[in-house]
Amino acid sequence: MTPTLSGQSRYDAIVIGGGVNGLTCAALLGKAGIRTLLVEQRDEVGGCAAESEIAPGFRAPTLAHATGPVRRDVVEHLQLYLHGLTFLDTAIEVSSLSPDGRALTLWNDPRKTAEGLAAWSTKDAQAWPAFHQSLGRLGGLIGFLFQSAPPSIDTPHARDLFSLMHTLSAFRGLPKADQWRLLRWGPMAVADLVSESVETELLRATLAADGIFGAMLGPWSAGSGLQMLLAAANRSLAWPGGQVVAGGPVAFARALRGAAERHGVEIRTGSAVARIDVTDDCACGVTLASGEQIAARAVVSGVDPKRTFLTLCEADHLPPEFSWRISHYRSRGTLAKVNFALSALPSFTGATREMLAGRIRLAPDLDYLERAFDHAKYGRYSSHPWIEFTIPSLDNPSLASDGAHVLSAYAQFAPYQLRDTSWDAEREPLGDIVTATLDQYSPGFSSSVVGRQVLTPLDLERGWGLTGGQIFHGELSLDQFFTMRPLLGFGDHRTPIRGLFLCSSGAHPGTGLTGGSGANAAAVVARELA
Amino acid sequence: MKYDAIVIGGGHNGLTCAAYLARAGRKVLVLERRHVVGGAAVTEEVFPGFQFSVCSYVVSLLRPEIIRELDLPRHGMELLPLDGTMTPMPNGDYLWRVNDHDQTRRDIARHSRLDAEAYDEYGKAMVEMGRFAKPIMGMLPPDPTSLDPRGLLELLGMGKRFRDMRFHDKVNQVQLLTMSAVDFLDQWFETDVLKATMSASGIIGTFLGVRSPGTAYVLLHHYMGEIDGAFRSWGLSRGGTGAVSNAIAAAAVEFGAEIRTNAPVAQILSKNGRATGVALANGDEIHASVVVSSVDPNLTFLKFMNERDLPSDFVDAVKRYKYRGSSGKVNLALDALPNFTCLPGAGPHLRGAISISPSIDYMERAYDDAKYGKFSSRPYMDMVIPSLTDPSVAPAGKHVMSCFVQYAPYHLKDGVWDDARREAFGDAVIDTIAEYAPNIKDIILHRQVLTPLDIEREFGLTEGNIFQGELTLEQLFFLRPVPGYAQYATPVERLYMCGSATHPGGGIMGAPGRNAATRILKDGRR
Repeated sequence: MTPTLSGQSRYDAIVIGGGVNGLTCAALLGKAGIRTLLVEQRDEVGGCAAESEIAPGFRAPTLAHATGPVRRDVVEHLQLYLHGLTFLDTAIEVSSLSPDGRALTLWNDPRKTAEGLAAWSTKDAQAWPAFHQSLGRLGGLIGFLFQSAPPSIDTPHARDLFSLMHTLSAFRGLPKADQWRLLRWGPMAVADLVSESVETELLRATLAADGIFGAMLGPWSAGSGLQMLLAAANRSLAWPGGQVVAGGPVAFARALRGAAERHGVEIRTGSAVARIDVTDDCACGVTLASGEQIAARAVVSGVDPKRTFLTLCEADHLPPEFSWRISHYRSRGTLAKVNFALSALPSFTGATREMLAGRIRLAPDLDYLERAFDHAKYGRYSSHPWIEFTIPSLDNPSLASDGAHVLSAYAQFAPYQLRDTSWDAEREPLGDIVTATLDQYSPGFSSSVVGRQVLTPLDLERGWGLTGGQIFHGELSLDQFFTMRPLLGFGDHRTPIRGLFLCSSGAHPGTGLTGGSGANAAAVVARELA
Repeated sequence: MKYDAIVIGGGHNGLTCAAYLARAGRKVLVLERRHVVGGAAVTEEVFPGFQFSVCSYVVSLLRPEIIRELDLPRHGMELLPLDGTMTPMPNGDYLWRVNDHDQTRRDIARHSRLDAEAYDEYGKAMVEMGRFAKPIMGMLPPDPTSLDPRGLLELLGMGKRFRDMRFHDKVNQVQLLTMSAVDFLDQWFETDVLKATMSASGIIGTFLGVRSPGTAYVLLHHYMGEIDGAFRSWGLSRGGTGAVSNAIAAAAVEFGAEIRTNAPVAQILSKNGRATGVALANGDEIHASVVVSSVDPNLTFLKFMNERDLPSDFVDAVKRYKYRGSSGKVNLALDALPNFTCLPGAGPHLRGAISISPSIDYMERAYDDAKYGKFSSRPYMDMVIPSLTDPSVAPAGKHVMSCFVQYAPYHLKDGVWDDARREAFGDAVIDTIAEYAPNIKDIILHRQVLTPLDIEREFGLTEGNIFQGELTLEQLFFLRPVPGYAQYATPVERLYMCGSATHPGGGIMGAPGRNAATRILKDGRR
């Protein structure tokens, strides 16, 4: 059904929110000849792919310090390389430091990883290439499902059936052992998954972190295996030129903006949307906080589902059951971000310069991760958080003056909902804990800190509109992915309101800064408006 | 003497399978290691005059078709209703849910009016879910990796039934299968103690916490618990759970099956990839055309067989299969009734289950202990006092009390279960009860403490897992017990499985035994 709206409006589509997915969607709509307006409440587009001054003379990636693997089709269709997007040729996927000063590196080349693992465990060195390959194959299969909107359950379209058949045959094409792995691994606890595959605790923890990143799950929580598979799926769709964007996530956002403008998308920043306008059960535009009304044939929301439906829509436009379900859509943020301005390059015991230029994880074993999670269950932040950090100034010296550096750290668990206290009171104490943790691995680290910025889940909600501070716009759990993201039957970017679509990470596939949700939504919206 | 079928293990599933095979005219022999049949569903006079359902203590999921087809009431089985669940709280309050819906509603309303209203909605939703799930219990799980169109059709059939449900039920169904019990309940209820008590059923027999995804679906079991067709009732068996086993055994014998106790199996005999019989511990060899194992995969394949006679990927999968017993059992012989501070005196609240699950945090803390290799210092408990409903199990005026206790991990971080640790565990249980019923310490005549290690040794359940393997999503349905062998058959021709380690899993349900018999008869083995 096509939204029936007055043909007078200047725009065919309005995209709310200029994050990576909003930009991707808008740019692709523009490319399809759809007159598109993108409105962003902040002064800059990019959303979580932002960069800012964290201390005088120091700039850092404000939130995300790495993009998800950028989707190949997004780069190609939008020719992002024309807008300055380049990738670094890095050999390291991620490294992990042990408190005893040893280090472990996962290279993009599994043979090289295996060579390094030999120092830890012969068994793991032998098992690694096969495990890596298996994960890659499973990722490839799920990745296939990531490339378009999930099928409708009630009224599957011929296109859906075709893609379902294709997926089924791809599933049958997997080695039998992998078919079973796919069925077993998703609902498993990631700790079980990695423990049955490898024996080195540091390696287990490094891998398991993928399963709990940003989630309200510990490694022993069932279902955490899923997120690890989703991460593998993202990798299978990555731009082959490299997974690390030169200049950081903000460079991805800039390229997307360039592409959007080239395709005629109008971008208005500093314009917060107050309401999605609906007449006759059909979205017909938006009202800005300033009171200005802008009409369009379709509205595409790049903000998270809770905010979209519970704040921007009026309740009487939604079926009560739908509103009730969305109010229980889980978006409990657990990730905090700490940016450090450093007078010198910190040295971490065991870490080479090449390792420092990539992502580094600090979590010695599975129990450490689980204990960090325990705190979150009781509304406290971890006394010993697990950390992933990068030193972006190594690749991008313009972020700090000569000799100085910035370090960007994710710290988990920092639950949005604290018990008996508030984040405004706990922000700096959390920063101290992160500093102290880094100090353990890099003696003297704290004395080189000249500035620090701590962003709690509450800050992510206030500053970037992420409900609950959830970085994925809603937890990536078994009941909130694929056809169930955000809600069963609404996985195809459509909503109960005709002409209102979702293009945020709260829609399929919804995993990190890949542009995937935006691209999938654009295809649906373009078909609808055609 | 040659049999058509030998069933290893005389637990309720082994007996059920034997009864169905005998009913179909097969010559069946059941071999039980212990001196009594029943396996974990057994009644024993542990202390003179006191009869205990030593392990399994309530009956709820026993399939009505089994009761009917084997005519169990005629063989002496009588199920007595277990009315409700009472949860004492540390503040002196309580939550008391009974089978009388209005009374339950009133009690929940004391805690929250909203929850009392939601309870109706929730109940209706769960009944719908139960209707969807019930047929799955009796299914031979299809193999999704097989190209066999029959399996595919069955999966499509399930898909169609799913599609035909209302939106509300569809969402519920998906959530039940994937969510954590707490998250699922959070959608309906706000009262902590209510959510804690309800979610407790989701963790029984698993090494998961109530917030772990995959624990919600067990909530359904309570609504599928049918006794004589009545939805939602849980019951005690007159004479203990052993009486259920005895009734099934009597039915099997009436159909012509032979049961031998004190007959431990040492080996499953096979030749050229085909099972031919068993060798007993005393060296006797007994031959049969079909061997059916009701014991768990660890014993069946790794103890009774030689790994070399099995495909190596199958052996790997069997070794990966998770047991991780997480619960213990404390059986008490009491001189008088416990006196709960929240509801003093003897009363109907003692006739149902008594649940120590005062808050979600309490449940989580109990789990935290176990995660790091300790038994819970303040465990979750589900207790019943069967002597109130069935006075025959204790001397006049005295009582037996059965306490299911979780978590008690099989693997302890600081050593192994020994006498000192067993007693320390027993003390933690009694101390916990004493917080709610202070007179408990004065009325205990005898106490039997079963750790997971005891359960393994005495009842042959590997790592003390009461369900012959964890009931987690990756070990359910077509993945139970191992991928590719969910249809009761094994890589060894004429060797079958029929225990709780097969679909649909544990509890005094009988479904695995009945499903396995269906499969064996379908294969036409003689």
